[in-house]
Amino acid sequence: MSSPTRPARPEPEPATTPAEELLVLSERTPPPSQANDALVAGTAIASAVFAVVFAVALLLEAPLPVYGIALALAMLLLAVAVRRYFTDRFPDVEAAEPRLHLDEGDDAPIADVEPVGRRPFLTRILIGAGAVLGLSFAAPVSSLGPSPGNALRTTAWQRGLRVVDGDGEPLRPDDIPVGGVATAWPNGAVGDEPSSLVVLRLSGQPQPPTDLDWVVDGSVVAYSKVCTHAGCPVALYRERDSALFCPCHQSTFDANRGAVPTFGPAARALPQLPLGVDADGYLVALGDFESQVGPAFG
Amino acid sequence: MTPLFALLFDQLDDRLRLRRPGRAVANKVFPHHWSFLLGEVALFSLIVLVATGIFLTLFYRPSTEPVIYTGSNPLYVGTSMPAAFESILRMSEDVPGALLIRRIHRGASHLFLAATVLHMLRILLTGAFRKPRELNYHLGIVLLTLAIAEGFLGYSLPYDSLAGTGIRIAYSEVLSFPFVGDRLAFWIFGGEFPTGDVIPRFFAFHVLVVPGIIIGTVSLHLLLLVRQKHTQFPRTGIDGHRMIVGKPLWPAQFAESATLMLWTAGLLTLAAVFIPWSDVALLGPYVPAEVGNNAQPDWFMFWLEGVLRMIPALEWDLPGLTISGPFIAGVVLPGLVFGALIAYPFIERRVYHLSGEWHVLQNPLDIPLRAAYAIGTFSFVLIASAAATNDQLSRLTGIPIETATWGFRIASMFVPPVLAFLLYRYSKGRLRRRGLAVASSEQEADSRFHEPASEQQPVT
Repeated sequence: MSSPTRPARPEPEPATTPAEELLVLSERTPPPSQANDALVAGTAIASAVFAVVFAVALLLEAPLPVYGIALALAMLLLAVAVRRYFTDRFPDVEAAEPRLHLDEGDDAPIADVEPVGRRPFLTRILIGAGAVLGLSFAAPVSSLGPSPGNALRTTAWQRGLRVVDGDGEPLRPDDIPVGGVATAWPNGAVGDEPSSLVVLRLSGQPQPPTDLDWVVDGSVVAYSKVCTHAGCPVALYRERDSALFCPCHQSTFDANRGAVPTFGPAARALPQLPLGVDADGYLVALGDFESQVGPAFG
Repeated sequence: MTPLFALLFDQLDDRLRLRRPGRAVANKVFPHHWSFLLGEVALFSLIVLVATGIFLTLFYRPSTEPVIYTGSNPLYVGTSMPAAFESILRMSEDVPGALLIRRIHRGASHLFLAATVLHMLRILLTGAFRKPRELNYHLGIVLLTLAIAEGFLGYSLPYDSLAGTGIRIAYSEVLSFPFVGDRLAFWIFGGEFPTGDVIPRFFAFHVLVVPGIIIGTVSLHLLLLVRQKHTQFPRTGIDGHRMIVGKPLWPAQFAESATLMLWTAGLLTLAAVFIPWSDVALLGPYVPAEVGNNAQPDWFMFWLEGVLRMIPALEWDLPGLTISGPFIAGVVLPGLVFGALIAYPFIERRVYHLSGEWHVLQNPLDIPLRAAYAIGTFSFVLIASAAATNDQLSRLTGIPIETATWGFRIASMFVPPVLAFLLYRYSKGRLRRRGLAVASSEQEADSRFHEPASEQQPVT
């Protein structure tokens, strides 16, 4: 490479400089082998045949294993052909190359046009302005989502809202058998994940910290289904010890005692829904959850 | 060269003067060792990923809008499901070849991650990260991080039941940031989970943003490699500090790389025929508030998942902010692991007062701190990964889940420090028995290596 600092050399550049020449340490020439030639030709032709099989089989919509195996064989056979081709056609050369010692670098300036005089103040203002412009490009980020406001502290539950199943059918206390459990939603908001509910009929006697005013029939309670650890659905129930269990990280809650965590990484109880029965005998909410649903934030 | 190639080359050479730069490239020397191929396997997996990924984007629909499935899978005909899942089912069952390509894409993503991790282990253990290659080592850590993120995004796109659960957990992780968690989560996910913005955004990042950055970073990684040249294992009679010895790019390394590319693609295709990874028909689409047992991420996320499972119940409400278990498990701890990886080259250089440039690879047992650090970190990551299987383990063995989890908690706290301490003592004793301390310059390390063959003159 020629550098602009040096004057152009009058004599023509040599065809190669020593650095470009391969410094050969050892060289082993393979003996000619007809067997190898046959192997190269055989595998290459077989590869091409399998490539055709792959294409035709795919066009004819043959089963996946047919064209899949054909494609794999075409590639693997070509790999063998390439490998054998090179081992026999070129000498096996071992070479050396001097290392470039970067800490022994030269001190030539990186550019040859130097600024006239020093104006560090102007330089800083210019860089600062560029940085401010760059930072301002981040402003559209604020359009990416609404302001959280109170959204994470509230759910769709309201006083008088019926408790419905996944098909939108309102639930009566009798729909939940003893030891039974159902996933439920606010009427009109089926599938609204933060409002999802487990409704259970406990086989034992509910105890504080369960809010007994929100227990219907002496045994039907409703808890938020969103795990307070990482937000997975608390999808499993073990009647033996009234344990609500999150399959993601194994947080376990005692449904008899206000769904307090008994094992695993969750630190807060599943919020209990204020639950009651309306004049027609259907389960209704008496209000929204009184504590925050789901995992901690901020 | 056939006349056609010769003609083409002459025409190009007339205009570009290719012979001298071409010769410099062809004569570039590559040291020969199998472990140097791990990075190449990662590169070739990336090529397979891009090629198969382009095909998949032509069929995938990045939307969670409900649509009625009318394809040929009898399990779902006439049912309503998110468009993303529907498009995956449709391409897998009704587009000839698409299932094979999806499986190759999935297999290549596993191989890309695995080869990247093993490549990084090789770099870390043998000391290829030392001056002057710290920057390239850091680019490698950036690539590992991007690869994990890209893998997670790809895992999410089918919007099957596991994918939805994974996104839900990721959303909770973002929520857990003190002060800014809710704001940040609403920006990334477009509002309170689940929103219709998640899948379109994940798609844009998976096919455009992250791969773009990965390809750019890989290019820079390779440019730095060419500029700084390879490291190499020590060899008798060779002054590795001044000379690099190996086989030239043409023809030996070219043959090896071309063969390796074909082996990688061929074996991935063969695996795709027999391993139904990426088949999501039986998982079903994501339905809010539903999750099955055995909910698990991809293997490269196991260590994060395992820590989420092991972390005890923690939640501190401080004035104005909350520090929660998921924040410590999913943000602080991985931050520490990656922070230590980033800082390690500088720590080693300072602790042992290392000087100068290092081009010859070492046995990690010659540097007690490195041996201890590597075994400590990787035993922790392995135990945490194993902890992500506590539910299956409990079901298979009958050990109560609580006992299994406590076992992993205790093992992850005590095994890594004990192993690190023991290996530190062992490698220090090993040096002392030979009357040595850690070599502080490459010349010193080199002279030790050449001692037995001191009559030999190193090539200079």
